[in-house]
Parts: sequence; structure tokens; C-alpha cells
Amino acid sequence: MITKKNIILILLFLLAMGSYYIHPGEAQDPAAPTESVQHAPPPAAVTTVLPAPGAEVAPPAPGVEEAPPAHLAVAPPAPGAEEAPSVPPAVAPPPPNVTLSIDKTSVVNGGVVTVKGQGVSGKPIYLEVWSERQVRSSFFDSKPDKDGKIPYRLYLTQAMPASYKIYAPKGKKEVFDAFKAKGGGWSYSDALKEMGADVAYSAPSKIAIDAYQSTILASIIGSRGEKLATLDDKETRRRAMQLTKARFRGIGNLISPSIEQNTDGSFIAKVNIPQGAAPGKYFIVAYADNALRSQPAVVENNISFPTMYLANAGTSLNLVWPFLLTLAIGVFGVLMGAGGGFLLNPLLISLWPLPHTVVAGTVMPTVAFSQASGIYNYSKIKFINWKLGVTMGIATLAGGFIGPKLTELITLDQYKFVFGWILIVLAALMFWQTTPGYLKKNKREQAIMSEFKKRAEAAAKAK
Amino acid sequence: MIVEFWGQEFKVNIIFGCIGAFLVSILASMFGFGGGPFMVPLMTVGLGLPMYLVVGSSLITIFFNTVMGSLRHYQFGNFDMTFFLIMFPAAILGGYIAPQIAKRISPLMVKRVAVVGLMLLALNLLGLY
Repeated sequence: MITKKNIILILLFLLAMGSYYIHPGEAQDPAAPTESVQHAPPPAAVTTVLPAPGAEVAPPAPGVEEAPPAHLAVAPPAPGAEEAPSVPPAVAPPPPNVTLSIDKTSVVNGGVVTVKGQGVSGKPIYLEVWSERQVRSSFFDSKPDKDGKIPYRLYLTQAMPASYKIYAPKGKKEVFDAFKAKGGGWSYSDALKEMGADVAYSAPSKIAIDAYQSTILASIIGSRGEKLATLDDKETRRRAMQLTKARFRGIGNLISPSIEQNTDGSFIAKVNIPQGAAPGKYFIVAYADNALRSQPAVVENNISFPTMYLANAGTSLNLVWPFLLTLAIGVFGVLMGAGGGFLLNPLLISLWPLPHTVVAGTVMPTVAFSQASGIYNYSKIKFINWKLGVTMGIATLAGGFIGPKLTELITLDQYKFVFGWILIVLAALMFWQTTPGYLKKNKREQAIMSEFKKRAEAAAKAK
Repeated sequence: MIVEFWGQEFKVNIIFGCIGAFLVSILASMFGFGGGPFMVPLMTVGLGLPMYLVVGSSLITIFFNTVMGSLRHYQFGNFDMTFFLIMFPAAILGGYIAPQIAKRISPLMVKRVAVVGLMLLALNLLGLY
């Protein structure tokens, strides 16, 4: 039913949408993101060893803090050192130092940043790259521990970097491939340890994590359970690894064995800030071991409309595509008589790196409005039995209270698995609706229905 | 419970209906869909009600669930405003376009396409191809 009121409602929403995205757009203008990429000076000229700005965000390295001036003094020769790294008449070997430089300080909608630097000879170098933007990540521990007891604990953090990756030397590729072959069951902490990359695991290791003890009763009343005491440092580090894996899933998203390192310790790597990554600052730190690390280099990722950052999902999206997808699914959903959610949810999580919790939590209110308009249309012609609808509706209130909590407790893979079976059941139902027996019965009921509808519409008009 | 609709009366096992609705709504709110296609067969086959009564009434039932589920998802921080503002107008627009198309094509054909599409999507989700 196209009414004036409805059209005005849509326009209002489009307007609201417009005013919503003006903010980031304005903020980006002065930064002139496109320009800064093009005039990226030749690599040798920029030794971007930025000491101060990242200092509060990056965990201060004890080794570096001791002698910051000395470090800075060492840094400038680095560009020259790339070609002739060994300084023959060295009286005393200078204290080992790790430096790095980047070829650009900003990218637009993601991009590749070339990182050059000097590590320590004989020690593999690792790069840790993380974004300043933070997202939520949760992990439900339901694996039996050593004594066979299932902990049923929910770990939740709001401070997971929206983007996080460790780059390892190319030589570690074999270990990487072995872990990759394990599929979804790989262990992040084992992979880090065996690749030697645990020295670079730093940014997420101190995030604030809330732990909840879940119980069946708590789940029934839809609560997260009892909040446990704050985790100690060691436990935080361990759980943070599980949360990191829960958030980024595949090993290819978290580790990249792609640094080219020479025997003298110098290295070069291409750091990829993917399309769809969060906007804002990215920090890059090189590690030779726990104490030996470089100052953070900072890269700014700028995004411009129609790409926008979804703060809760931790992903930037070119919004044109989800819009078109929702439109197509919306049309098809109405035609086939099933709300769009059945198709939209699985497609959204398959096509974009969106967490299933955010997809479920955002599609649901969208569905609510089409239901409301349906109710309005049917109620106008009195085609609703309120007694039946409301009685059963109250029963569903309880279900709706419990369900969203369960979303939090399952992993994306479990979500996909169960959703797959739900769709098979739905397909079977749809198939049943195309069988001759059903169609015959349906035809009769359709006839009664259109008769009732005619009467109802006439009655509504008569008023 | 006796359900009255346009002069007709139907006897309904409401306990069974409520338990069924409760189970459907857990799944629906957990996975973030409406649940209509499950609620309708529950009411027609499970409760023996005619289709013309169910189409409207089932909407009320799942609407309760959707509102509650949305609020709970919001409470747990699963709601993304930007994402919503993109999908919402598209969904509304789809709701206006669909009836225009529906007049021109056979609903049986749509259902058959949907069966194939749903199966493909399901097998994809189960990782079978």
C-alpha cells in the first residue's frame, strides 16, 4: 500500500541516514586523504620512526624507553644502511636496535604499505600491525579442561583491535602451512609459539576482559551469568589469544609469513591494510625479541563515502552492496512468502567479514518494520485474530528473551551449521507447498480468503 | 481455546501452540530472522487452523518475538546503527516493489526457485561445496 504517509516516512529515514554520515565525511575533508597518498615521498627520504604519538597507545617497550635519544640518533642512518648495512670499522658493536620506516603514512580504503627496516642479524623479525579502533569480541569456553570438567565460561572484551595481524619471516611458511591445513581447529597460541611470533603478540595481550560463569539457569533467564573476578595478567594474555582467534577466525587473517629478511637483519615487508578494514590509525611495530622492538610507525587509513565504518561490526563496507542485496532479498522474500532474514543473514555473513551477532542483531529490527506494516494492513481489514496472535505472542516473548543470549555463546561456524539445517527444513516446507495436494487445499482456502477479504474491504469502506 | 474468526469457530490446543511458538521464537531470535515460515505451518498443520486465519495472526505472534529479540540484541550490543540505516530503507523499498512484480509472475514458480536457492545456500553453509 503506497500511501503518502509511508513515503514521507521513507524520506525521513533517508534524511536521517544522510545526516548520520555527514559527520565522518566532514572530519575527513581537511585531512585530504587522496592527496597524501599521491605525494608519498620516496621511501628513503622518510624515516618514519614516530616516537611520541603512538606512545600512549603502544605498550611502552622497556628497552626503548631507557635511551630514547640514542635510539633516535641511530635511526637516521637507517636509509643509507639499507644498501650498505655493515659498517666495517665499528669500534664496539652498537647495541642491537630495531628500526623501521614506511613508504606512506596514509592509505584510502585500505592499501599496501611497504615497511623497510633493520632488525638484528640472526634473529627473525616480526611485525605487529593493529588498528586503534576497537571492537567487541566474545568467546564461550565449553571445552572440557584437564579434569574433564566443562568450564562454561563466557569471556568478553570491548577492546579488541578492529584489525590485527602479525607478519613473520618467509622462512616460517612451512609451519604456517601446517597450521593452515588444520582448518578451523587450529590453535592460535600454538601457531604463535611454533612460528616464534609470540614475541610480537602484544597489543591485544593486555586488553580488559570480562569473564562470566554461565549456568543453565542463567541461560534460561537470559543472563550472562555471574561476573568473575578480574583476570590476572597471564590469564588475560591467554584468554586474549582465544578472543583474538574468535574475532579473526582464520590463520590467514592473523598471521602472514611474508617478511623478506636478509642475513644482516635488514628486512622488507608489504603490510596490507585490506579493503573493509577499520578507518583510523594503524600501528606497525617490529620485534626481534621480547625486549627488542622498534618505535611504532603510524599509518592512517581513510575511508570515504559510500564506504563507511560499522563500529559494532569492526568492518568498513561499501554500503551500496548491502543496500542492493537487502533490496533484492527484500523483494524475493516477499514473493516467496518468507521474511528476508532467512536469506539475508547467511548471505551477509558469507559475503562480508561481519560477526554473526551483529548481523542477527541488526537484521531483526529491520524485519520488525515489515512485520508491523503487514499487521497494519491486515488489521485494517480485520483479518487478524488478536486473541490467538497475542496469546502465542506472549509465549514467543520468552523465546525472544533467551535467543539473543545464545547467539553470543556460539561461534560463527556453529551459527552457519545450524542455519544450514534451518534452511534445509525451510526448503522442505517450501517444497511441500508446491506439491499438488497442498496446492489443491490451498486453492480452496484462497477462494474463501478472497471472499472474506472482499467482504472485509467492503465493510472497512462502509465505515 | 476457542478462536473465532468471521463467524467461524475453531477449537485450538493452545498449550501445544504456545510451546511450539516458544521453540520457534528461540531459534528466530537466536539467528535473527522473523520466523513466519515456521509459525504458519505450526498454526495450520499443528493447530489445524485455516490459512486465511493464520496469515494475519501469525504476524502478531512473531512480531512479539521480533520486538523482544531486537531489544535483547540491542542490550547485548549486537545492533549496528549504520548498518541498520542502510538495510532498513532497502527492505522497505523491497516491500513496495515486490507486490508490483508479484502480479506478473506465478507464485508456484517463485517457490520452486526458492527451494533450489535455499538448498544451495544451506549446503554452502554446511560447507558441503
